[in-house]
Formats: sequence, structure tokens, C-alpha cells
Amino acid sequence: MKRRDFLKSATLTGLATAGYFSSTMFAAAQGRKTLTLAYPTSFPSLDPSTSFSNDNAVMANCYETLTRYIPDPETGSGTVSPLLAEKWESADEGRTWTFHLRSGVTFDDGAPLNAEAVKKSIERTKTLAGGASFIWDAVEQIETPDDMTVVLKLAYAQPMDVTVSAGYAAWILSPAAVEQDNEWFNAGNSGGTGPYKIMRNEPGQRCILARNENYWGGRDEDRFDNVVLEISEDPVLAQSMLESGQADWTYGLPYENLERMESNPDLDVVVNPSFQNLVGFMNTKKAPLDNVDVRRALAMSFPYDDVVGAGTNGLGSRARGAIPPGIWGHDPEAPMAMTNLEEAKSILEATGVTDLELTLTYFNGDKLEALASELWRANLATIGVKMNLQPMSWEAQWDLAKSDPANAQDIFMFYWWPTYVTPYDYLLNMFRSEDEPIYNLGYYSNPEFDANLDAAHELSASDRAASEQMFRDTQRMLIADYPAVFIMDLPNVHVVRSDIKGYVDNPAYAHVVFSDELSK
Amino acid sequence: MQLLMYILRRLFMSAFVLLGVAFLVFVASRIVPSDPATLFAGPRPTADQIAAARELLKLDQSLWVQFTDFITSMAVGDFGISYRTRQLIWNDLASFLPATLELALFATGLALVIGIPLGVFAADWKHSWFDTSTGIGSIAAVAMPSFFLAMLLQWVFAQWLDVLPLSGRISRDISLFDPVETITGFLLIDSLLTGRFDAFWDAIKHLILPALTLAAYPTGIAMRLTRSLMIEILERKHVVAARALGLSHRRILFGHALPNAVGPALTIIGLSFAFSLTGAVLVEIIYAWPGLGRYISEAILSKDFPVIAASALVVTICYVFMNLVIDVAQAFIDPRVTVS
Repeated sequence: MKRRDFLKSATLTGLATAGYFSSTMFAAAQGRKTLTLAYPTSFPSLDPSTSFSNDNAVMANCYETLTRYIPDPETGSGTVSPLLAEKWESADEGRTWTFHLRSGVTFDDGAPLNAEAVKKSIERTKTLAGGASFIWDAVEQIETPDDMTVVLKLAYAQPMDVTVSAGYAAWILSPAAVEQDNEWFNAGNSGGTGPYKIMRNEPGQRCILARNENYWGGRDEDRFDNVVLEISEDPVLAQSMLESGQADWTYGLPYENLERMESNPDLDVVVNPSFQNLVGFMNTKKAPLDNVDVRRALAMSFPYDDVVGAGTNGLGSRARGAIPPGIWGHDPEAPMAMTNLEEAKSILEATGVTDLELTLTYFNGDKLEALASELWRANLATIGVKMNLQPMSWEAQWDLAKSDPANAQDIFMFYWWPTYVTPYDYLLNMFRSEDEPIYNLGYYSNPEFDANLDAAHELSASDRAASEQMFRDTQRMLIADYPAVFIMDLPNVHVVRSDIKGYVDNPAYAHVVFSDELSK
Repeated sequence: MQLLMYILRRLFMSAFVLLGVAFLVFVASRIVPSDPATLFAGPRPTADQIAAARELLKLDQSLWVQFTDFITSMAVGDFGISYRTRQLIWNDLASFLPATLELALFATGLALVIGIPLGVFAADWKHSWFDTSTGIGSIAAVAMPSFFLAMLLQWVFAQWLDVLPLSGRISRDISLFDPVETITGFLLIDSLLTGRFDAFWDAIKHLILPALTLAAYPTGIAMRLTRSLMIEILERKHVVAARALGLSHRRILFGHALPNAVGPALTIIGLSFAFSLTGAVLVEIIYAWPGLGRYISEAILSKDFPVIAASALVVTICYVFMNLVIDVAQAFIDPRVTVS
């Protein structure tokens, strides 16, 4: 055989073999329903105890928490619903919580869910002390009086029914998985009670989930057999995948592209308020911002509507204090400063402050912060205030803010999102007095506010309705002090193929798709 | 023997290069305004978590102790744990480096088999339509930004003609229903070793567009360099003598002229290979290629210094090795070049 003939036959044989295998694989793929989700970030750690990132997209499909938080778009508040715990009660003014576990639940490795598994899961997370493990800080003792009851004894009152619904660090693992290390999880193993289990992890490329045959919720034939979480950092690529049907869901697309998405009959654009908000802390420890009237004038100079319009195509909403809608304690009637440059100017003149020059820091990789800062600077210039903008890396910005407040920035742009759904998370971290600043980067300190906040939090463990009102009142006290410019509650914008049924965004679990609720 | 001594000498000198790189990375990690303990503690750490991380990372010890610890760990290949992923960096590198090496080698192969022959023919048919076309093509290949070329190729071949995949390293369905067993991490090799011709073919299809994008620049440069050197060499007396002796045109071109002209093109292609190990970030992002470039860019953005240090060392090793290979290859091709 001549060399050319040999090469020709070898190529043809190769192609034929490849074709055969492709067709075999295609046949195998027939009849299996696969949901493909395109994520703009990777999944750095799949250890459910320490994961504190976008990995929750994987976790929420493979693991479950004792309860789940369900926001109510009608009331702007929300409720806690049963999940692995069927019911619960608190005693001792919120210092003891008893959770009664759902019976008949098994982990994907076949082990039954019981109180010991819950106890070991919480203890593993507390011991590793990484990620959002701090949500368990109040837990002093975990008791298991019987196989299906877990009692959490707390050092201080806390609404544990909400805490255990957290999207981070609250996942319950099988006893076998509890014994494993980070490497085991990242190799593509899981041990949860969720409707799916990790089948394969290809770092940087995709994570593949397969149905958990032991799932306690049963198997509905309409549901997907597999879920593929594809990593696509380039939004143009994610959009192409979605338009061509290679992906069923994505987010993080540029706002300016949404109009085109909306006009595409194959796609649905789902806009929902997120639990993330943008604030501009004002340095309350540094003159002249230690004067509440100066802060009020600055708050009135902020171009709220322009930033919402230009920054999010109008999809965001003007913040009503620090607590966004969907979080219990949100106050839709909170009295907020409105943009009024003339009044801002006259208030500023009344304070006697002249030639005011301020420094604002923001994260240099963030377009929205940059836009908000630029527009605010333009408004301030019209009332005679000079604003110097300092885009910085997050670490440098944070380091400067944590140094001596007298030498730190005047204004600090910042996003906040809750680890679990409570108004306390926002008000405590951003505004309660701190000896060493960590996240209260306006250095606001008001003993009355602190006392009311702590009381509202204590009360939330035993009387949620009363505490909700108390949080609202406490927040109004805060708003009246103008420690920050409450800029915007950000929108969640997800794009879904229109043949996907049942998609509902739950902002308590940011950018998580509960795949078992969907069908095609 | 001379060659062996040369290689050993180069390897010995490379140790100093690596030491220098490690020193620079360590200094950079201390100069850049960031707190490793805060980074290690996670996205929203508490004061206790930061304090625990500071103790774990031994940041309370003297700089000298920290540096000697760092160098001794690096010397034995203990790159430690990534701040961001909390995983052993070796595991991450074992996953990302083969993907990048596969892409870079494939792109280098394309640059060699396209750039050099086209340069030879352009010189041979000087001032013809072919020469003009390849001239325009090479300028376009060099001048066109890689992100634009990537998007253009995706649009034409993946979306319009629909003959090649849009992104990724292997099809979703292969990962889903019949994944290739990982042996070396190189998909092409692993699929052949396991007799998975379908996966091999699929991986080749996924490689074509990113490799073409990555190969565009070195191909253009190699083409122009080869052309200009070939034109010069084809006018030399020894080529005229070869013609007078009646040697075939093909033999004169490829046997006598090309070995004299190929050196600079090889150097450029070799350097491009080393550059593409970490410099192909845009290409990797646009094609969702799970490679080292994306891994390092994420590490840089999150100031994950153990990853940056480990990657810098690994890439330096690849760079040094590639330079050595090029020098030795040139010596083989062109006898005038000696390893001494």
C-alpha cells in the first residue's frame, strides 16, 4: 500500500469510528433531560462547610438546609419554610431552638438523615472556621435528645430558624461526607440530601450534576436528569450560548443588551430585586462630615434617579434605608433624602462650611460605583463642593478605611449583601459601633441606635412581628443621622430560555437555580 | 557530549533564574498593599478569622523567616494552598496547566506548519498575487487584536456555518454521558490512550478556533521573517551553484535555503509559545478554555500570592525549557549554529 493510500484509509477509518461513537453517544443522550446553566464565575471551592462564593449554585442543588427563606414580593417581606426540619420552636427567649427533622430523608450515599448527622455537620463547619462559619457563633451546645430532634443552645438570642436557612455554611452533610476533606469535595464528590449530586467537576469548565436517586422529594418525570453548570466568564459568549440554545439560563449580561434579549421570543428576561445594595458611607469621625447637616446636604446632592437610570437601565430601585425589599424589616415608607441641589446648597451655607473638598474611594473594577461617583461629583461641583475620586483595588480601599478614621477617606462606596436573611445583618455590620472598624466604614457610633438594634435582634428570636417594627424604627433613627447615602437596591437580572417552566428567582440565594423546580 | 554539557550548564544557570523569580514574587507580595491574612480568611471575614489566618500563615514572623520558608517550600515543590480556592495549588496546576499546554502546543504547531511554508512560497513567488495575498494576510494576522479575531472566528465557524464548537475544551455530552478518563490531563493524549476516538475528534474540533486565534500572531511574524530571509538566501551564490548543479527546485528551497532562514522564525514561535502559557487570558476567556491564563488572572485579581508565585515558577521553567529546545533545534537544523 502506498503511503498516501494508507493515510487516506487511516483518516477515513478514524472519522468513521468517531462518527460511530458520536452516534452511540447521541443515542445515549436521547431521552435524558439536561438543564444547562451558564455562570460568569468559576466555582472555587465545593466544600459545603467553607464555601462562601458562587459555589452556592452547586451546593443548593446537592445539599439542603434545615429551613428555606422565601421572600414575598407582595409584602416586601418573607417567610421561613420547612425543609429538612418539618417544624421548630424556640424557648428561653430565643436562646434555645428545637428542630424536628423530616423523616424518611436519606443522603445521596444512602445514609439516613438524623440528628447526629445535623450535629456533625454544624460541628464540622464550626471547627473548620472558614467562609461563613460565623453564622454558628451563637451556638454553644448541640443536643440530640432523640434521633429526629436537634436542640441548639445559644449564648445569646438569635432567630435560628432564619440562620439555618442561610445559603452558606448551613448545609447538612452525610456522616461519611463530614469525615472528608476539602480535596475530596473538590474532586467532584458530594454527600447531601438535595435532588442532585455532583457527578463530575471539571475545574474552570463545568460542574455536572446527576439526579440523586435517593431524593426524599421523589422523582417527577418532568424534571431534569442532569444539570450542567457551565463556566462562561465572557458575557458575549454566555449570550451566544443562550441565544443558540446551548444554555438555558444565565446572568451578568450587560444591561444595554437586555432590550435585544427581551425582543427575542425564545428568551425571557426575569428582573427581580436582589438583596444587594449600594451605599456611600460618610466619615462621621472627620470634620466637616461629623456635622449631620453637612451629611444631609451631601445626601440631597446625590443624583439617585440618574444613577438608577444610567447604571441599571432603570431596573434597580432607590434604596429605602439599609434594608432592601424582600428582607423582613424593610420599610417602604422610610423618609429618604431626595435630590435637591438648591436646598443642599442652602443647608451647606447655613453650616458655614466653605471650600469643601472631599475624597471618595471606590473599587476600581466596578462600573456602577464609578458611574455613581462621577455623577455625584458633577452635582457637587454645582453647589461648590470639590470631590476627588480615588478608584482603588478593594484591598487597598478597605485597608485605608480600616486605618485611622481621621486620615481615612471622606466617602466610601460599598455593596452589602446578607449572609442570611435578617435586617440585623445589614444594620449590625454597617452601622453598629465598632472599636476596630471592619465593615462600619463610616465609623458611625450612636449608643441609642446600638441598644435599640440589639434589642430588636433579641426580640426577633421570640417575637418576629414586634422585632420587625423595632428594626424599622431603629432604621429611621439611622436615616435621620445621615451616616451614609443609601443609593440603590440592585436588581437581579436573569435570562432564561422561554421553554423552561417554573423559574422563580429567590434573592436569598443569590444566582442560585433550584433546578428540581424546573421542567421543559 | 558537548551537547550534554551545554544542556547541564543551561539547567544550572536556570536555577538562578528561578531563584530570582521567586525573590521578585516574594518582594512583590509584600509591596502590594494587601493583607494576605484578610485574603486567606475569605470574602467577608470576621476579625477572629483574620487573626486566625495571620497565625496560620505565620505572618507575625520576621520577613527573613517568611522568605526562607517560602524558598524552601518552593524548592521542594510545595506550593501550598490557594487563598481563593483553599485547594492544594499542585492540584489546580495539574488541572489547568495541561489544558494550556495542549492549546499552546497545538497553536505552535499551526504556526509552524502554516507560517514557515507560506513564507517559503511567498519568497519563491516573489511579487506574485500569492506573495501579495500572504503579505496582507500576515499583516492582518499580526495587527488584528486577538479578542476581535476570536469573536470573528466564533461568529463565522460556530454561529454562521455551525461547523465548529463555540467554546470549551470538550463537548458537554461527552463530559455528561461518557467522560474521558484523565491520565495525563492532555485530552488528545488521554482520548487516544483510552481508545476514545470520538472524544479525540471532539477535542480537536474544540482546539481549532482558539488555536487559530493564538497562532495568528506568530504565524504572521514567522511568515514575514521566513519570506524576507528566504529572498536574501535564494540570491546567494551557493543557491545559484545548486541550481547550476541541477538540483530540484523543491530540494533547493527546503533542503538548502530554508535551514538557513528558519532560525529567527523558530525563535519567534518558541517565544510565542512561552508567552501563550500565561498571556492567552483573553483567548481563554472568550473560548471558555479552562487554562492557566484564566487561573492566573483570577489569582492576580484576588491577589492570591501563593498561586501567583507557583505559576510564575512553573511558567519560568516552561520558558527556560522552551528556549533550550529552540537553541538545540537550531543547532540541529543549521550546522553553523553550535551549542558551544
